[in-house]
Amino acid sequence: MSLVGEERAKNKRGIWGWLNPYHYNLERWAYTFQRVTGVAVLLYLLGHLGDTSFFVGGPTGTGPSSSSWSFIGSIFENSFGHLILVLVVLVLTFHGVNGIRLILSEFGLIMKKPSGIEYPYRPKSLGSVQKSLVWVAIAAAVVAALWTYLVLFEGMG
Amino acid sequence: MKESRLMLIQYATAVLALALVAAHLIMQGVILPYDTAISFNNILSIYQNWIYAGFLEALLVVVLVHGFNGLRIILHEWRQTAPWSRWVDLGTVAAVAVAVGYGTRTVILAVFGGVSG
Repeated sequence: MSLVGEERAKNKRGIWGWLNPYHYNLERWAYTFQRVTGVAVLLYLLGHLGDTSFFVGGPTGTGPSSSSWSFIGSIFENSFGHLILVLVVLVLTFHGVNGIRLILSEFGLIMKKPSGIEYPYRPKSLGSVQKSLVWVAIAAAVVAALWTYLVLFEGMG
Repeated sequence: MKESRLMLIQYATAVLALALVAAHLIMQGVILPYDTAISFNNILSIYQNWIYAGFLEALLVVVLVHGFNGLRIILHEWRQTAPWSRWVDLGTVAAVAVAVGYGTRTVILAVFGGVSG
């Protein structure tokens, strides 16, 4: 392996690099959670595609079928299924609100202006607006999950 | 397609998905009680309304494009060899096509299929 290749291999951390908390700041944690929640929501979405297809009788169905819909409801409409939905809303809301922060920063709208490097070397990208929006994303996720819990477990809505 | 254009698609579908998913969740848990919202008759009435059926199809396409393009971005961050990138891009297009096709089949059968007990 060439010297450049060896150096590259030494520095390569891959997917596991996301989960190493050493030296992470809030922005980096938000980066990790954005990806973890994104994959989680995609997996749920594929499952949801499968379960909603039972409205028309499943993979071999030909049209709306109440017996097929009752069958899939008997599997997922219980406390465990509802708990999964609460978790989905939790991660989905974080992903959505944090995603808006990422779009705003991508277009430079909430980034601080570049400046010289000064001790103690805090990242200039992570201004107060960015930090606040990460906390807004966390708070919105908790509120949305709480609302979902009340709808599913306490009959609100 | 250029990577910059794919990122713009990712951001555009993100904003659209946020609005569509929020509307979907509000319809399921706020406008109607959850038990009523997921009842067979209520869902049937949703699919038989062209505006709602179109809304569900748009939701399907937007979230699947956003989801699989997001996964593609993660996989490109993971490894950067040319064969890997090519297979990831091809796999993404195939996955979106299959998933959108399966979801669209549900919508079409729900709208046009004969109702059975």
